[in-house]
Amino acid sequence: MSQLPPVTYDIEYPYTRTTGPVVGAFLTALRDGRILASRCGDRVICPPVESDPETGESIPVDLVEVGPMGTIQNWTWIEEPSSKHPFQQPFAFALVLLDGADTPICHAVRASGMEAMSTGMRVRAQWREERASAITDVYFVPEADAEEQYVAPGEGEVELTEHLISLSFQEDLQPHRERYSRGLLEGRFVGQRSPASGKVYIPSKGYDPIERVLMSESDDVDLPHTGTVVSYTIITPVQYYGQKETEPYIRASILLDGADQPLGQQDIREIAPEDFRAGLRVRAIFRSEAERSVEGMDNRWGSTGNVVERWEPTGEPDVPFAEISEHAY
Amino acid sequence: MSAEAIAIVAAAQTPSYRAYNNTEPALIMRVVNEILSETKLDRHDIDFTIAGSCDYLSGLPFAFVANVDGFGAWPPVYESHVEMDGAFALFEAWVRLSVGDLDFALVAGSGKSSPGTPREIFPLQTDPYYGAPLGLDPVSTAGLQGRALIDAGRASERDFAEVVSRSRRDGMSNPHAQVTADVSADFLLDEPYYAAPLRRHDLPPISDGAAAVLLARGDRARELTDNPVWIRGIDHRIESNQLGLRDLATSVSTRLAAESLGLKSGPVDVAELCVRYSPEEIVLRQALELGDETRINPSGGPLCGHPVMATGLVRVIEVAQRIRAGDARRGVAHAASGPALQQNLLCVLEGEN
Repeated sequence: MSQLPPVTYDIEYPYTRTTGPVVGAFLTALRDGRILASRCGDRVICPPVESDPETGESIPVDLVEVGPMGTIQNWTWIEEPSSKHPFQQPFAFALVLLDGADTPICHAVRASGMEAMSTGMRVRAQWREERASAITDVYFVPEADAEEQYVAPGEGEVELTEHLISLSFQEDLQPHRERYSRGLLEGRFVGQRSPASGKVYIPSKGYDPIERVLMSESDDVDLPHTGTVVSYTIITPVQYYGQKETEPYIRASILLDGADQPLGQQDIREIAPEDFRAGLRVRAIFRSEAERSVEGMDNRWGSTGNVVERWEPTGEPDVPFAEISEHAY
Repeated sequence: MSAEAIAIVAAAQTPSYRAYNNTEPALIMRVVNEILSETKLDRHDIDFTIAGSCDYLSGLPFAFVANVDGFGAWPPVYESHVEMDGAFALFEAWVRLSVGDLDFALVAGSGKSSPGTPREIFPLQTDPYYGAPLGLDPVSTAGLQGRALIDAGRASERDFAEVVSRSRRDGMSNPHAQVTADVSADFLLDEPYYAAPLRRHDLPPISDGAAAVLLARGDRARELTDNPVWIRGIDHRIESNQLGLRDLATSVSTRLAAESLGLKSGPVDVAELCVRYSPEEIVLRQALELGDETRINPSGGPLCGHPVMATGLVRVIEVAQRIRAGDARRGVAHAASGPALQQNLLCVLEGEN
């Protein structure tokens, strides 16, 4: 049987940070085509700092302009840039000692090739056409490659800077998840019975988290399609970054008969909130085989993929709370 | 603080895997079970557990909570966590036991780097205004560190290749190693640059793995094992997060940590250093003033396997095991964090006799 495809997922955190009096002034000047440094005792420190690097003491905000010319103190040639680097073709990260500064700034140098780089070479700041009030508004080039630029000043002081953190991950479905997913595609709920405690977990994490026992395929068990609602919540969606829901919806935990752990996060759309309750007996109605999909299934969450079309009441009497209280939370 | 010494009484590590196709809690469970089985302790005998891991590495918010499964989650454990290598968790456990009211502490470090792209994740630990938006990654900062050594006349590219050649050869006798080879410096120097002056071989592999140690206090340590390995001191120091404010050819923080621990007041038979990039060994060796009498990274070090968040704790384990085996009497383990050895931790270990 062929392996299900690897799972991929992205996480994104859009950060908006306040800049404070020093970084704010630095980023404002950078947006406007100038580079600032801090006067700290008898040193000029670039990029500017809020405190004395030697003592940690706060220092008065005393900013002076440095550059735009500078000297390369140290460099490394990046043959294969990462997607987060300022350039997507080979470039150098370098420590650039800007004229007028006593400490170098670590930044990117765009050059024709590694042969064009050397310690002690002169470079000049260049500004990007589109600036974002961020350290990436500027970069450096060898003096001979520099172009005269007019940088139109922006409006107001930079008080916030944005940084979207975006990371991608990819991994194979882990063996227990692969068997669970394959079961769903076949219309089966596959759990695992702990050889140590006899407790049945679905979806299993591949181990018994209480007895600390790793489980294998020989511990797999099939579970029925019927179960009991043990807990639920009605979610009114807040419109945060990435939110896709607009209307209130129910998420329920359903304890399949014979299981010791409820299936969490079950999507309930066809039972009205006023008819929904803990103790309700329900049955999973699977989609037709051709419609079932485990796309989006990962190794992490208790998803049932796009396999269960709906949960419908069985019509049996409710299960008394005392019998399910262990699973209600 | 209690004057009672604290010892490592058991340790376990998984191999370094290029991609471990199971969960991170399963990795932890394996090393925890190995330690409990070896010491015949029950999980409930453990007073304090602490783990080092990184949610960004897993790409899962609160991944560290799921990792508690690896220790056995019920009944609840007295638990702590650091978003750092397990070696820094070891530091906290050592301090906690030094209070004198608890006997045992279980320390783990774990990480799965394989699902993500470490070069894109690690810039997030740099300065959020001046570093992270540039995507300033550890390979690049290691390249700058390498150039700083060369320009200062402290090392050559051949020296870097020699570190790699020796490490990868030593790794051949380490059952946990992931990348090993019997390869000469000349051969390595023929490879193209990757982050000049570094070549690909100067970099560590991408690894998944976990490690754990059990600490015990005073006589409880002697009850559990005939050869406890005593922690004589731990020191952790941090330098500026601005590369331009540091001399990358030296490690002031490592030197100060060694001085404060009195490292040179006795013989250093073995040193396991967190050398993820070959220039780091030269910086560290010079900062620690280690000479030919000290065996450096007999395991092959992180160049042979780099399970991020366990790599530093593995250094402690490798030193401890050499002391337990009688191959060394006293040694030092090193762990690092941040770009270009920004943070350094030293742990001095010594055998019973």
